[in-house]
Amino acid sequence: MGVAAAATLDYDAELMLRVKQGDGTSFGVLLEKHRASVTHFVYRLVQEQAVAEELAQEVFLRVYRSRASYEPTAKFKTWLFRIATHLALNWIRDERHERGTERLDDVPADVPARQVSDRRPSVEDQLVYQVKLAEIRKAVAALPDKQRAAVLMHKYEEMEYAQIAKVLGCSESAVKSLLFRAYESLRARLAHMGRT
Amino acid sequence: MNCPIETRHTEMLVSYTAGELDQETALMLERHFAVCPACRSTATEQSVVWKALDAWEIPPVSLDFDRRLYNRIDSGARPTWWERLTLSFRPMPLRQSVPLAATAGLLLMAGLLLHQPGPVVSFTAPPSHIVRADQVETTLDDLDLLRQFGPPNSAESVHPDAM
Repeated sequence: MGVAAAATLDYDAELMLRVKQGDGTSFGVLLEKHRASVTHFVYRLVQEQAVAEELAQEVFLRVYRSRASYEPTAKFKTWLFRIATHLALNWIRDERHERGTERLDDVPADVPARQVSDRRPSVEDQLVYQVKLAEIRKAVAALPDKQRAAVLMHKYEEMEYAQIAKVLGCSESAVKSLLFRAYESLRARLAHMGRT
Repeated sequence: MNCPIETRHTEMLVSYTAGELDQETALMLERHFAVCPACRSTATEQSVVWKALDAWEIPPVSLDFDRRLYNRIDSGARPTWWERLTLSFRPMPLRQSVPLAATAGLLLMAGLLLHQPGPVVSFTAPPSHIVRADQVETTLDDLDLLRQFGPPNSAESVHPDAM
């Protein structure tokens, strides 16, 4: 497929085709555009900052290394998140197997301090936020791998069912089912937050 | 409007919370909430989940992310002398090596089954041309007996004058 044909697919795919032709600047543009979303997505999956950055780098490294064989058969973002999901879920599986416990349930040390724009947060606010955040993280970490990935793509990446299905390699109806069960679990674990 | 819970279309409630529905469908759903406590409750709970997930802030990406990435790209582009040396000796990935090993195993088995080796020559076994004297005598006696009771000799049977 040529550059002109790919442009009808999406702009990112066109950039990737330029990378394929040896244009390093286009790779920089793609990195700039997707760096944060890929790293954040992986972070929410693995819940460890250093690991998330390492895996996100691996994602872009793989994109760069496979530039020669790249064919824009799907949206670039779908391809990118497919690699990211694959790497993150593999890491989770290996980590779980290695440690024999659900490490993601632990509250990690890299929880960011809350940035409140209009006023300086009090110590109490910070504490309340940390408790709430720990609960959210735990609820998300408790989801089965595919449900977790589906929720994160749906909620934070605003991806459509069809796109999530392509990333996860399943049907659209399977994605709907995954999301239904995932949100059902999250409602059961987090709905009390609305009453406090 | 059909109840999303009863008709197993709960994704509509998720879409409503996410603001993904068009205005007309959203209004229809809100009218349905007035008469359906189950849907109303689910939508409220889903809204709580949505807000909770919104509150999940994450640390910013490190400033040296790109530098580290480009270092990795550069180091990957220039393999060290050791990598170049060991490249050809690296074990094949499991995904490729298993089918190859299985094929090789099958070929080996097929080869063993098709190849039927001849009798093993034993240098310690007595040679087959050595026979005992009593065996020769018995055989000669048997031939005499056959000559007496056997069919006429071949010369008689094929001679045209005898017909």
